[in-house]
Amino acid sequence: MIFASIRAEWFKVSRRPSMWITIGLLLAVSVSLEYVLVYIVATHPPKGVNLRLGGTLSSLRLDLYPAALVPKVLANMSGLYGIFALIAGVLVQGSEFGWGTVKTVYVQFPGRIAIAVGQLVTIALLVLIMALGLFAVDAATASVLATIDGQHITWPAALDVIKGVAAAWLILYLMAMAGYGLATVFRQSALAIGLGLGYVLVIENLVFGLLVNLGDTFQHIREWFPVANAQYLQQAFGVLRAAAAGGEGPAAPPVDGTHALTVLCLWLAAIVIASVAVVKLRDVN
Amino acid sequence: MSASSGATDRGAATLVETHSLAKQYGESVLAVQDLNLTIHRGEVFGLLGPNGAGKTTTLRLLAGLIRPTAGTAVVAGGPPGSPVSLAHIGAMIETPAFWPYLSGRDNLRLLARYSRVPQQRIDGIVEQVGMAEFANRKFGTYSTGMKQRLGVAAALLKDPPLLILDEPTNGLDPQGMVEFRNLIKGLGQGTRTVILSSHLLNEVEQICSRIGVIRRGRLVAEGTIEEIRGGSQLIVRAEPLDLARRLIEQAVGADHVTVHDGTFSLTVDNSQSASIAKALVVGGANLTELRPAERSLEDVFMELTGTESGS
Repeated sequence: MIFASIRAEWFKVSRRPSMWITIGLLLAVSVSLEYVLVYIVATHPPKGVNLRLGGTLSSLRLDLYPAALVPKVLANMSGLYGIFALIAGVLVQGSEFGWGTVKTVYVQFPGRIAIAVGQLVTIALLVLIMALGLFAVDAATASVLATIDGQHITWPAALDVIKGVAAAWLILYLMAMAGYGLATVFRQSALAIGLGLGYVLVIENLVFGLLVNLGDTFQHIREWFPVANAQYLQQAFGVLRAAAAGGEGPAAPPVDGTHALTVLCLWLAAIVIASVAVVKLRDVN
Repeated sequence: MSASSGATDRGAATLVETHSLAKQYGESVLAVQDLNLTIHRGEVFGLLGPNGAGKTTTLRLLAGLIRPTAGTAVVAGGPPGSPVSLAHIGAMIETPAFWPYLSGRDNLRLLARYSRVPQQRIDGIVEQVGMAEFANRKFGTYSTGMKQRLGVAAALLKDPPLLILDEPTNGLDPQGMVEFRNLIKGLGQGTRTVILSSHLLNEVEQICSRIGVIRRGRLVAEGTIEEIRGGSQLIVRAEPLDLARRLIEQAVGADHVTVHDGTFSLTVDNSQSASIAKALVVGGANLTELRPAERSLEDVFMELTGTESGS
């Protein structure tokens, strides 16, 4: 029953052009913004560049080489890349309400719970493709840049890469499930994307970014929020040289990777349970 | 005609049974109330009612799309929306909705995967509902009639014992409507049960073996079309009037006879017409007309629903 539902959901998602366009854009943004643009800045610094950055220009280049692959890929996982995952999650569910196909699906045999499980597994596969795709294109780009610079290519340990992919998958899945959950609750895509972006950019980054400066209390509260813990998990894989040298961000996260992993898993479980409950109980008019 | 009745003694032959089913929206909108419905295997059951009477809400309740606020229902062996029930129903509720980036055929392939229906069945269904010509076009380009055909095809995919169709001929051209009515009639033969809602009286009259009339969320009548029409009335014209009246009252009883403009209306079973004719002729009256009183379904519908027209 569940397997049939997964096959059907994957059939639906894998033939949807907008899904592959989203993933393609994610990979293109990663290569162009995180590698090509940074390489251009590092090799041809614009006039008037901040002197303090001068100390980091060489660090910028080192961060582009394969040895820094894992922290480099993870650096944007809860921010820019996570937003793409959130959009993918919204697309899976929000469009069903937009097209009215939710009525078609919910009268099919496996029933709502099996269908929801099929969607959750499909989203898990989609974000796995995103995570693997990011590591693959970033690794390829990093090796090309290292070759151009005549650097010896040193790859990170395989276990670190596997752990990095797993962390990337978890963060992207949490973001995608947040999108799925918002689309389920609000029965549409636009509001779900708007609220998701608003939460990530305004609440977790801007508001908490200011509040943590007011005292430890806010810092302790922040340690239980999802995007903050996604950032802590990213930092558990190491901080990029440029960020450390430039004084951007904490050199060490306030909580360890185990805490971050636990909090993320709890948030993921809560979102999954709440989403499935809404799917099961909601009237579809 | 019988008022909305509860359970029957037909046991396993009953495919849909509801007890005091109700759906309320907010504090004041009672879309369906106290619905007691029994639908048997092999019936083509028509749900009639004016716009906003609660037909679609009833079908949504039976398909499990919405949850009742009171009452219970068993549909095809399980509670509405349960896997047991969904395994045995095919439903098309309101305008058919499918994935616009997929062709009609791929939409059916997708739905076939949910229910593990063999892919080979799709070609047969496509032919059956007359959508072979446009099955490979993307759903986003479909006209209303094409969407309707795909909707019925999707409902038929599992070859379910119970089909729930909400106004299935909406948007079809006259030829398509005729084809669809014949298709639904054919589907309803044998052991398959079809529940369809419509506000087209002639459609229901042509297709359905039994109907239920809904008004303001309540089932106000349920029975065969003959029962709903109320065929137990005879019209008699005979002269001389006094002699004819005496003979008729002797034959059927004075309580069953009313006279208006020289015409007798008898509230008796049609099977008594022969004995009434014989009594009049033998008694020396001149019998000029004796026929069952026929009320059209539209007349009855207007009477039951209190609407001005049959729509």
